[in-house]
Amino acid sequence: MDPFLTSRIVTDILGGLTNGVIYGMVALSLVLIWRSTGVLNFAQGAMPMFATYVGFALLSYHFSYWWCVVACVIAGVLIGGLTERLLVRPLYGKPEINPIVVMVGYLIVLEAVAAAIWSSFPRSLPSPFSSIHWQLAGKPFALSPFIVYEIASGLLVMIAVAVLFRFTKLGLQLRASAVAPEVSRLLGVRVGRLLTLGWMLSTVVGVITTILVSSNFFSGLTPQINDGIFAFGFIAAAIGGLESPVGAIVAGVVLGIVNQFVTDYVNQNAVIIIALALLVVSLMIRPSGVFTKPSERRV
Amino acid sequence: MKLNDPRLRVQVAVIAAIAATVISLVSAGSTREGVAYALVLDLVIACATTLSLPDLKTHHPVLFRATLTLLGVDVAISITRFLSSSTNFNLATGAAMSIVLLGLSFLTGASGQISLGNGAFMGVGAFAMAIWANHHATTPVVLTLLIAVACGALVGLLLGLPATRLRGPYLAGMTLAFAVAFTFILSSFSSWTGGDSGLQLPTEAVAPRWLDGFFHAGTSPLTTTTLYITDVAIVVAGVAFFFMANLFASRIGRSMRLIRDNDVAAELVGISLPRTRVTAFIVSSAYAALGGALLTLIDNSVSPATYSFALSVTILSLIVIGGIGTISGALIGGVIYAFSTNVISWITNQTGLNPQGNFASQLNGIIFGGLLILTMLFAPLGIAGAARHFWHRVRSRT
Repeated sequence: MDPFLTSRIVTDILGGLTNGVIYGMVALSLVLIWRSTGVLNFAQGAMPMFATYVGFALLSYHFSYWWCVVACVIAGVLIGGLTERLLVRPLYGKPEINPIVVMVGYLIVLEAVAAAIWSSFPRSLPSPFSSIHWQLAGKPFALSPFIVYEIASGLLVMIAVAVLFRFTKLGLQLRASAVAPEVSRLLGVRVGRLLTLGWMLSTVVGVITTILVSSNFFSGLTPQINDGIFAFGFIAAAIGGLESPVGAIVAGVVLGIVNQFVTDYVNQNAVIIIALALLVVSLMIRPSGVFTKPSERRV
Repeated sequence: MKLNDPRLRVQVAVIAAIAATVISLVSAGSTREGVAYALVLDLVIACATTLSLPDLKTHHPVLFRATLTLLGVDVAISITRFLSSSTNFNLATGAAMSIVLLGLSFLTGASGQISLGNGAFMGVGAFAMAIWANHHATTPVVLTLLIAVACGALVGLLLGLPATRLRGPYLAGMTLAFAVAFTFILSSFSSWTGGDSGLQLPTEAVAPRWLDGFFHAGTSPLTTTTLYITDVAIVVAGVAFFFMANLFASRIGRSMRLIRDNDVAAELVGISLPRTRVTAFIVSSAYAALGGALLTLIDNSVSPATYSFALSVTILSLIVIGGIGTISGALIGGVIYAFSTNVISWITNQTGLNPQGNFASQLNGIIFGGLLILTMLFAPLGIAGAARHFWHRVRSRT
């Protein structure tokens, strides 16, 4: 067989793609909320984590993996909606730091409550596909059925979000209420409901990400599972531009691949340091993100 | 400043008298007579200051702040003479923490930005202190503390330069990434930082002979009793609070508050937005480094596990509960930190929870996180703001 497919570079690129899709999805969910409500949601990792714990509690009642996934998504919709209504709504129009602080508090509470109920030991979830890598001419190939499942569902979610925003009436209303809430309200768009919907949507994207990460045989589900992933997701979103969903996804995928190369050629510890350095450099050169046009601010 | 003003001369005399009590408390305070003598002096000073303080506040604000700081330090050190050594240890940690909180309070109160990485900046100071002390054991402690502060300021400049120029939550996100990355940075340089086990301070660095002779003359040298280290922590915190109070009221402090309230107006009157914001961030990270270095001195050692992301979150909770943007809020937060573990274990005992259980071990997070949310939603200025509001209402009613 072709030795190129099992070479170190191809292995790194494909391995990085897995993490990259995850970072891209986290970055996407951050951008969705930032664009519509102007809140950088620091609990974007913790809310889906909680929903995933709730959904997979069904495992002890002998439901199958896929029923648990459905339950997780439903829990995500409920948590996202309730959070927006009860916690975030009182904060619109307040100084910028108020929502940041509240969401950090929410993050602590969710992680502590999850650890109190389900303990902080990793909880292994059943994996629907094998994580044993395929072989090509006796050499291990970078992909396994599980990795293909991970990448494919990630891409599916991204395409679904893109289709929703670009080709449906609902997507048009969502975009309109993010850009000009007052005008949209005058034209009869129920802006309040759409904001809730935006939070639900973004939490569901997060839930799918968390399920993909925690179904991995090697990691399992822990209350802190998304802390590191959130950091990488934010870095990706900031590099790509907080205003640009496409930028967030592309930056996430690139960041994942870069990380894999750093892990392989330097070491594991250097990964987040390099990522942080990339963020500093990119903010110096293009403050508003690689994929957005710098905008004038009107006084 | 007119030196022939008789009231001013009285003031200088008062300050000198309080300073004398502080020194006498610190150097001879372990004996019963020393404490009694200092307390009598305190009473006299208290009468003298209450008579002249209102006048002083309007005419010589810097002297007023100096008097207030010295009085605070004086009272705090007097109190430590009556407390057990474990309580004193808690107080010392609280004093170190209050310095960190002061920095964060300044950053938010003065420039409207927020940092989620002050725990990591504390770590920068703590490790700078330990590394320097291990390589140059003979350096006086004060100098080592200043070196740690400089390291914190430098890292603050490096991270703050890109993020503070931007509008939006970039600084918060970036400092969060730094806090998450910090433990990895430490283990990348494990030959310097001692890896997972951290570093111990060499004994000479803990108490240099000249300092040991100054504090508690006559006791056996080179023993770091808790009492001694509490004195150092309280005095350093006093100096930090004095500088910060002046900075809040200075030209820089006022221009920062203008930026927070209306950045367009600030730019129109000629304030450089990026420079002022970076300055605020550097001050906050330098203060965090000072607090961390002090904590290393108190604990005699430093461990990377202390400076995790959780510490940054704790710092944020403490200052929000105390009152973000206020000076007294930092003090309140420091006191809460000093006694929080005691209070939480008391709650665990009272409610009959299993101390080793899941719920009891997470109680800290649930209580702090919950208070953080409730404070921000219902009293954004924390305990200090609520107290001030209450005080104004009482005064306007009469």
